[in-house]
Amino acid sequence: MAVKKDYKDQKLAEKLRDRKYYVSDTNPGFLKEVEKIGQTAAHMCFQCGTCTGSCPSAPRSSYRIRLFMRRAVLGLDEEALTDPDLWLCTTCYTCTDRCPRDLAPTDAIMAMRNIAARRDIIPRNFLQTVQLIYKTGHGVPNNDANRAARKKLGLDAEPETTHKYPEYLPGVRKILDHYGLKERADRILSEGE
Amino acid sequence: MSENKRQYAFFLGCVAPNRYPGIEAAAIKTSEKVGIELLPLKGASCCPAPGAFGSIDLNIWYAMAARNLVLAEQMGMDIALICNGCYKSIWEVNHKLKHNDELRDGVNEVLKEIDMEFKGSIDVWHVAELYYDPKIVGVNKIAESVTRPLTGVKVGVHYGCHLMKPQKDRHFGDTENPMWLDELVAALGAEPVQYRNKMQCCGAGGGVRGYDLTHALDITNEKMINLQEVGADALTEVCPFCQLQFDRGQVEIQDKFGIAWGLPVLHYNELLGLAQGMSPDELALDLHAVDVEPFLKKIL
Repeated sequence: MAVKKDYKDQKLAEKLRDRKYYVSDTNPGFLKEVEKIGQTAAHMCFQCGTCTGSCPSAPRSSYRIRLFMRRAVLGLDEEALTDPDLWLCTTCYTCTDRCPRDLAPTDAIMAMRNIAARRDIIPRNFLQTVQLIYKTGHGVPNNDANRAARKKLGLDAEPETTHKYPEYLPGVRKILDHYGLKERADRILSEGE
Repeated sequence: MSENKRQYAFFLGCVAPNRYPGIEAAAIKTSEKVGIELLPLKGASCCPAPGAFGSIDLNIWYAMAARNLVLAEQMGMDIALICNGCYKSIWEVNHKLKHNDELRDGVNEVLKEIDMEFKGSIDVWHVAELYYDPKIVGVNKIAESVTRPLTGVKVGVHYGCHLMKPQKDRHFGDTENPMWLDELVAALGAEPVQYRNKMQCCGAGGGVRGYDLTHALDITNEKMINLQEVGADALTEVCPFCQLQFDRGQVEIQDKFGIAWGLPVLHYNELLGLAQGMSPDELALDLHAVDVEPFLKKIL
């Protein structure tokens, strides 16, 4: 297996040591999981790079969607899930529209984020949105300046949502509680402090 | 002209009612003038944000969006909405649950806890597609509703991502160089300008605005460069979250990168409102972070 393969030049071997992967690093179940959640046949990817070439995040960061597709195919879950670049996809779906294999790399990324989240790897801002929705029903809630502006427009200070009808909030909360998401958000955010 | 108005349950989302209420007011008034009545969808919540929620657990995203859909099903009305992000959640979850029994059963299992059931009895529309559809409103009727043509201004159109993409799941056709929204802008008397990489993302989606603001702003800045290149007087979009990113983002760009673009950003409903004779006060344009005045001077 790949474990014993090495470069003769010791300096080169040393330099490239962290660029090599071993069979023991891979998890074949990862690809299946990504394909199931993302509803896309990621193993069909032939690494053409159209996705990365179309990606608005690629020119300004080290995020490479093609690399994540390869990691999925090779089962390199640690590599993929612990890479902070995973969260730089704006989900614009340009790669999905252009993929010559008719895959949805965007949805593969969403699947990898879902799998990362199971390991409590979730950026803080995502969890803060959860907390806000649990509290108010809105990810971007109302505020006093906006209430004043709404009245000037002839609208009610509170929009016709959970803001104006808080009796609908328990329904929202029950759904989130069904998945224990609020508790998880609180716990992960407090651990990070 | 038909006498009876078409009625829709108006799904508000978060950013429009809570940051740019002028869009909400404009959507109701401008739609009224083209035969569409937007009725309150009581008790709706966040769609929920497809980037934030979908990234954590798609199943929670489905269930939360389904609750909003059921509220409209109970009204017996199709949903109309004004935001691409909401469209991704509400339209896409409706579509998925209608066509995937396993998914629908799973969601209904959760909804049972709040005495709700997703039936799949309604459709979801973005107001822009209602305006463009000749069977519902159509470009001609939009043009007829104009009392103050926006002549002499160049407007760059931002289509955003989650309305039209992914193409194969949607029904809007070409996503490389679409022109239908440009047609709707031309109907107001303005000149829609073509600019480089018109379909590029605003930069905010997928939770990136909250995760890495500088990264998101750098994408926004590229759009600003491309719009300035063709001398756009304003940018229009159909997504309040894109609007937030372009409008407040310009202040943040000045702060972080030291570049002052000063490009007014208007939701299509605000633009339509101006063309139908609404005053800047009626649209709360003073809430915009980038001064809209230079644009108004050219049209008023």
